[in-house]
Amino acid sequence: MPEEVVDSEEGMKIRKLVELRTTTAEEYEKVMLDRVEEFKDIKGDKSGFNNVIQNTIVKAFSTLLDLKLGVEKALGEENVKKVHKAIDDILLTGL
Amino acid sequence: MYHLDDDEYVNEPYYRKTMSVCPECLQPISAEIYEENEQIWMRKTCEDHGDFRDLISSSAKYYKWTHYAIRDKDGNIIWQFDKDGETNPPDFIGDDPRGCPYNCGLCEQHISTCSLALIDLTNRCNFNCNFCYANVLQSGYLVEPTLEEIDRVMAHFRSKPIPAVAIMFTGGEPTVRKDFPEICKMAKDHGFKEVIVATNGYGFQKKNGGLEFTKKCKEMGLDTLYFQFDGINDSTYEKTRGIKNLMSYKQRVIDNCRKAGLNSIVLVATIAKGVTDIEVGNIIQYAIDNIDTVRGITFQPVSLCGRIAFEEREELRITNADVLKAIERQTGGKVSMENAWYPLTTIVEFGRVIAYLADVEPIEFTCHPDCGFASYMIVDPDSGEMAPIMDYFDPLKVIDFANRFWAKIKNKEKKPIRIFEDLLGDFGKTLDKGLNFLDKTQLRARFLLGVLQYMKKPGKLMELFSRVLMRGDWESISSFSYGALLLSSMHFQDAYNMDLERAKRCIVHFGVAMPDETVKEISFCTMNTIHRPEIEKQIAKEITAKIKNEFDTTTGQAVVEIEPEVARNGGIKKEEGET
Repeated sequence: MPEEVVDSEEGMKIRKLVELRTTTAEEYEKVMLDRVEEFKDIKGDKSGFNNVIQNTIVKAFSTLLDLKLGVEKALGEENVKKVHKAIDDILLTGL
Repeated sequence: MYHLDDDEYVNEPYYRKTMSVCPECLQPISAEIYEENEQIWMRKTCEDHGDFRDLISSSAKYYKWTHYAIRDKDGNIIWQFDKDGETNPPDFIGDDPRGCPYNCGLCEQHISTCSLALIDLTNRCNFNCNFCYANVLQSGYLVEPTLEEIDRVMAHFRSKPIPAVAIMFTGGEPTVRKDFPEICKMAKDHGFKEVIVATNGYGFQKKNGGLEFTKKCKEMGLDTLYFQFDGINDSTYEKTRGIKNLMSYKQRVIDNCRKAGLNSIVLVATIAKGVTDIEVGNIIQYAIDNIDTVRGITFQPVSLCGRIAFEEREELRITNADVLKAIERQTGGKVSMENAWYPLTTIVEFGRVIAYLADVEPIEFTCHPDCGFASYMIVDPDSGEMAPIMDYFDPLKVIDFANRFWAKIKNKEKKPIRIFEDLLGDFGKTLDKGLNFLDKTQLRARFLLGVLQYMKKPGKLMELFSRVLMRGDWESISSFSYGALLLSSMHFQDAYNMDLERAKRCIVHFGVAMPDETVKEISFCTMNTIHRPEIEKQIAKEITAKIKNEFDTTTGQAVVEIEPEVARNGGIKKEEGET
C-alpha cells in the first residue's frame, strides 16, 4: 500500500482522496483483459472470447460506436435527440 | 435531481402506510412512513409497548426519487423502481394468521426470488465483536451444519425453477472450518456461478499456511471474498472489533489473495456514525490502490440490535443517504449523490432482456428500492480521472429503452415460436428451433443497436459491455466488472425500522437444514431480527471449554486447533474420548 498519508484527524490517517496514479487507467484495463485471458485459457473453444464470429461482431460494434460518436459531434445535441427518437421507434417497431 | 427537477412530485410531502413489528414484542403492527424536516421517518404504535419513531432516510428528496413512478395519462403506473419479481413456488403454506414474516420459510407472500443464497457455516469466530448476532461466545451454543446438511441446502436453492445463481458462506467466521475448501467445491458442483465467502480474513491471513489455504480455496472454486474492512486505521478496528494492530492482518489477506491469483475481493465496511463513517474516502482510495485484487466496496449502515432508547438511536442511526453524502464529501464530489447512485432494482428489465436473449439464468434484483444503491466507478483513459459509469452512457435512456423493449418482448419468453411442430412433427420442431434462433438474433441486433445509441465513449470497456448485451454470460459480466470498481450501500433492517414491504421483496435468503430433514429458506433481515433464536434453538449443539477457548479474541489468532468432527459435535466427541 503506498504511504501517502497527507492529513490526520485526531491521530487518524486520512489519505489524499481519489488520488489516481497516472497509470491507474491502464492498470484497470490490464486487470480486465487479464480476466478475459483467464477465461480464454480455462474454457478454451467454449469461451466466447475465442469465438471468431463473436469477436468480429464486437469489432464491428466498436467501429460503429466510433463512427456514431463522430457523427453525433457533427450533428449537435438537438438533432441527436431527434435521431435517437427515430432510431428507437424503428428498433421497437414490429416487436 | 435526475428527471425530477421540474416535477411537482418532489415538492409534495411523502407518505405511505406499511406493516412493521414492535421492537419489544416483535408482534406485527401498522406503521407510517412520512416526511418531516426534509427527512423520511417511520412511526408506529404497539398497544402494549407504546410509540416508536425511527429515521428511514436523511434525504427526503433522494428517497422520493427512488419511489417515483411514471404514470400514463389515466394515472396507471407504467414504471417504478419498486418491482414485483418472478417468484418460485412457495416452500410451504403457512398457517400463522399474522402472515409475513411469521410464516417465513418461504411462504406464498414472498414476491421476489433468491439471487444470493446464504449458508451460516458456523458460529465459531476468532473475533468477538459485541454487535454480532452469530457468535458462539455470545449465544452460548454451537451452530455448525454437517457437509450432508450443507449439501441439502445447496440442492434446495439450485433445484428451484428459478435457481439461485450465487452463494455466500457466512458465520461466524466460515474459514475457521478446516473443510471450507471442500465446501467451495460442493457449491461449484451444484452449479452456483459465483461462490463467495463473508470473512474477516482469518484463514487467508495466517502467517503459516495462509497462502496455501488461499490457493486451495481458489482451486476448489471460491470466486470472491466479501471481506470485512472497516478502514485503514488500526484505531478504527480497535473501536469496531476490539483488536489492536488489525490493519496488518487485513493487509496479509490482500497480499495472499494477490499471490494466489484470487483477485476478486469486495471490501465490506460496516458504517457507524463517528466511528467508520470518517473512513469511507480512505476505503475507496485503498480499493483504487489495490485494483488488481479489489473489485468493489459495499458499505453497510449498521443495524441496531437490542433495546435502544430513541435518543441513543438518533445518535447511532445512519442511513444509506448518510453514507452516500459521506462518500460525496470525502471524494471531493467525484462520487456525487445526485449523479452516481441508483437503486439496485433499476436494472431489472435490462437484466431480463439480456437473460432472455442470451438464454441464461436471469439474476433478479427485485428487492425493495430502500434496500440498496449501487454505482460503478471507471477510470477514464482520456482524462485519467475517476468517473461514474454514467459518464460512459446515458443511464436513464438505456433503462428507458430496455423497459420499452422488455414490455414488447416479454410475451415471447412465455410463448416461443411454434408453427411447424404440430404439422411436421420432429422435423417441424427443428424448423421452429431455427425460427426461434433467427428471431432471437434479430432481437439481439435491435437491442445492441438501441443501447449503442446512448453510449458516450469508446474503448475496451465498452467492447466488453457489448459482449454483456449480446451474450449475458458469466465470462462477459465478470470480465466487464473487472474493468470497473463497484460501489454499493446496503442497509439491512432491524426491529426499529423494519418495513415488511422490504422483507417480502428480499432477494438474499438464508438456507437452514432443519432436524426434520427439510430446508428453511428465510429472508435475511427477518432471520436476523425475528427467526434466528427460535431456529438456532432447534439446531444448536452444546459447547465445551475446548470450543470456548479456541481463539484469543484480543488478537484474532487460534489458541487450540479443533478438528472438523469435534466442532460438528460441539467439542463433545474428543473431550469424552469417543474416538
